[in-house]
Amino acid sequence: MPAQPIDWCQLWYPGPKRAFTADEMARAGSDAPSPTMLVMAIINFATVAFVALQLAPAGQTARTAAALGALAVLAATAARWLWWRPWRRPLMQMQLGVTAAMVLLALGIRWRLPEREDRFAVGLTLAVGCAVIVVLMWFLVLWRAQQIEARLREQAERERAIEMARRLAAAQLEPHFLFNTLASVQHWVQCKDDRAAPLLAALTGYLRATLPMFNRPLLAVGDELQAIERYLQVMQARMGARLAWRIDVDAALHTLQLPPGVLLTLTENAVVHGLEPQLGGGELLLRGRLQGDAAHFEVIDNGPGPAPGMQEGVGLSNIRQRLLLACGAAAQLRLGAAPGGGFKAELSMTTSAAHSPPPP
Amino acid sequence: MTRALVADDEEAPREQLLAALRSAWPSLQVVASAANGVDAWDAFLEHEPEVCFLDIRMPGLSGIDVARRIGAQAQIVFATAYGDHALAAFDTGAVDYLLKPVDPARLLQTVHRLQARQASPSSPPATDLQGLLKQLLQQAQHPPPLAVVQASVGREVRLIRSEEVIYFESDARYTRVVHTGAGGDGQALIRTPLKELLAQLDEQLFWQVHRSVIVNHRHIAAAVRVDEGQMHLTLRGRPETLPVSRHFQALFKGQ
Repeated sequence: MPAQPIDWCQLWYPGPKRAFTADEMARAGSDAPSPTMLVMAIINFATVAFVALQLAPAGQTARTAAALGALAVLAATAARWLWWRPWRRPLMQMQLGVTAAMVLLALGIRWRLPEREDRFAVGLTLAVGCAVIVVLMWFLVLWRAQQIEARLREQAERERAIEMARRLAAAQLEPHFLFNTLASVQHWVQCKDDRAAPLLAALTGYLRATLPMFNRPLLAVGDELQAIERYLQVMQARMGARLAWRIDVDAALHTLQLPPGVLLTLTENAVVHGLEPQLGGGELLLRGRLQGDAAHFEVIDNGPGPAPGMQEGVGLSNIRQRLLLACGAAAQLRLGAAPGGGFKAELSMTTSAAHSPPPP
Repeated sequence: MTRALVADDEEAPREQLLAALRSAWPSLQVVASAANGVDAWDAFLEHEPEVCFLDIRMPGLSGIDVARRIGAQAQIVFATAYGDHALAAFDTGAVDYLLKPVDPARLLQTVHRLQARQASPSSPPATDLQGLLKQLLQQAQHPPPLAVVQASVGREVRLIRSEEVIYFESDARYTRVVHTGAGGDGQALIRTPLKELLAQLDEQLFWQVHRSVIVNHRHIAAAVRVDEGQMHLTLRGRPETLPVSRHFQALFKGQ
């Protein structure tokens, strides 16, 4: 671990360095101090004032009370000001301002006190009070700055999660897919073609399976396969003889729990990037094998195969992230050329790494 | 009478557009309907229609590829299932676009626009069409161009590097490859139709000059104008000449 350099600047100019923008303050620091905090501050101050009044020399009670009152007003004003500016520069300004005010106050009172002892007592009280206020302001600013930073961080994380979900949903419900399918449905309905009803049924099944799909963290492979089948039926209706497909997955794998949409995305990629751009179309094979503890899925097409310099899109990077979250490093996704030409996506994991449901 | 080409890789949307066109523009004569970009381009060369309705996502050549080849030779209307941002630029009227499923009222608008432009063909296009198409093209994925042509000759498969090819020529059910490589007296036959080959070749190197001829421009010696409508190419170090059809004569206009 590299040694962290000492920030000497903090010795003579302490406090949080980050100055929040107006926008950040509006998003994460727009709240007023809570009533609990105010009550706590008042109780603390009352205790200090009580002790100070007990210790004050007899005959100076009124002056001490006045000084304490002035202190209270000063501290409250400073705290309120810093509440909306919890960073280094305002803190320093306020600390210097409070100290100067205290010095002036001390000098003012001093003139009116004939007894040396009394002068000393009042001066000491003010000096201690000043020190306490300066330190409290520092604590207040530190605490407040951390509160706002934590809220901003939390907001950023939430936004990232929402963005991720949005992109997932967008990646899933491809508008091209939807509108092209609807175009076919519309035409076949108009000309009373018998293909309309099955296509509409397949589309409905696909939407029903995929729309709630991403709300859950995991999905049984069997359910995912149904969605894939619906998808392929839709594409079959649209592409006709240009698309041939086969799903061959061991029944034992149907209860395996995977992050939803992984196999579906691999299938859609194979159709959209592998087969649809081919003049003659092609063939897709989805295979799943269970050997002992090892689950192995393959999505193979006989399209043009991986293009040199191919970059992984949003769909694939989503898959990788969700696999990592759900199964850790034990799940592996490999993309490459299929032996007979074409593209092959391989997904392998141990069933213990995937979340298998507990035996009934 | 106006003639049109309709291209879409899916049957139902294609049929829908055809049906909608029949009622929106009864006098329009659809001379060809193609199921991919390669057939669309070939059909354009064969029929040279005045109006082309092109789906954007098609196998072989995309609608944008086809439109770029057609250039200003015909009025182009794109059809797409989903409005890509760049398509909004077409609203300016240089070309038009339709969203699928095609809405009859919107199609009628397009038809009026096309008819108006046909009535005054001299009006210049409102935007830089070629620039727009180039921009759209950059968004599309393109496989790298073909590096090697594989030709079966007897029991062997001969590999011909694409730079060695002088020209390709349609020959009945085959494509004839004339090349500088050794063996087979510089000729070979392949099964890939010329129109499919076109989509795979490097556009910088290979120029289509006729519906049935694609030539490596490095081997062209001269373009000779025979009379008003006819032109042919002479080649470096070879006796034969290649025909240039009317559509491609603009490639050789001198500087």
